[in-house]
Amino acid sequence: MNFKMETHSGGTELPTVELQGEVDVYTAPKLKQQMIKLLESNTRELIIDLTKVDYLDSTALGVLIGGLRRIRERDGNMVLVCPNTRILRVFEITGLDKIFEIFTSLEDASESMGKEAP
Amino acid sequence: MADNQCSACVELKFPCKPEYVGVARLAILGVASRMRFSYLDVEDIRLAVGEACTTSVEWAKKNDRSDSDIVMRSEIGTDSLIVDIFDQAGERKEENRADDPDQETENIGALLITLLVDEVDVTSSNGGTHVRMVKHARQR
Repeated sequence: MNFKMETHSGGTELPTVELQGEVDVYTAPKLKQQMIKLLESNTRELIIDLTKVDYLDSTALGVLIGGLRRIRERDGNMVLVCPNTRILRVFEITGLDKIFEIFTSLEDASESMGKEAP
Repeated sequence: MADNQCSACVELKFPCKPEYVGVARLAILGVASRMRFSYLDVEDIRLAVGEACTTSVEWAKKNDRSDSDIVMRSEIGTDSLIVDIFDQAGERKEENRADDPDQETENIGALLITLLVDEVDVTSSNGGTHVRMVKHARQR
């Protein structure tokens, strides 16, 4: 299965989950576990980088919605980086582009949170 | 339903498990790419098939039927592609869904299918569910 996930955090950098490949019913549970782990460690600001994602389905959207809800309950924020128009289209046709803050670059996403890009 | 003259059928049977949904997506990508679909239409079909199979996999898990199979049959017509997904994942009982965390995901999946294909029909069938999706080819 074509899926990779790396989490960058520490120092003054914003915690960033960088996803690669296909995020679907098989791989989304791994993303969910990672997000739960980050939230349990009191992460209140999070960037999910979808730049290298080439497929994303409703299971992934469900995990992202759950993460956003939990982080907002703690007065935090989670933003997405998605320069890929094909992936962005999934957010647009489901109306989720109105729920998530979506940026086309990691720099723009970091700037929106008042930090430098990792 | 579409008045479609079927020129070929491609059938795939695979385990009703999360790790095989990607196989179905890959297969339908190959089928749809051979037809007069635009790049975006092919992507729509791939996503719709993925969503239909994902719903089958989730219900199989809930109903303890993950050892069953999914059959995907695609009818390649002159003007459209008909994709049938048959599962043996048991009954999709709405009353068993109280506080179900997967409900939201399944709703998004169903919405996506409706938006991505031209026709969709869902029926109960022999201890499982049959989803028929039709996508019409348009002039590029």
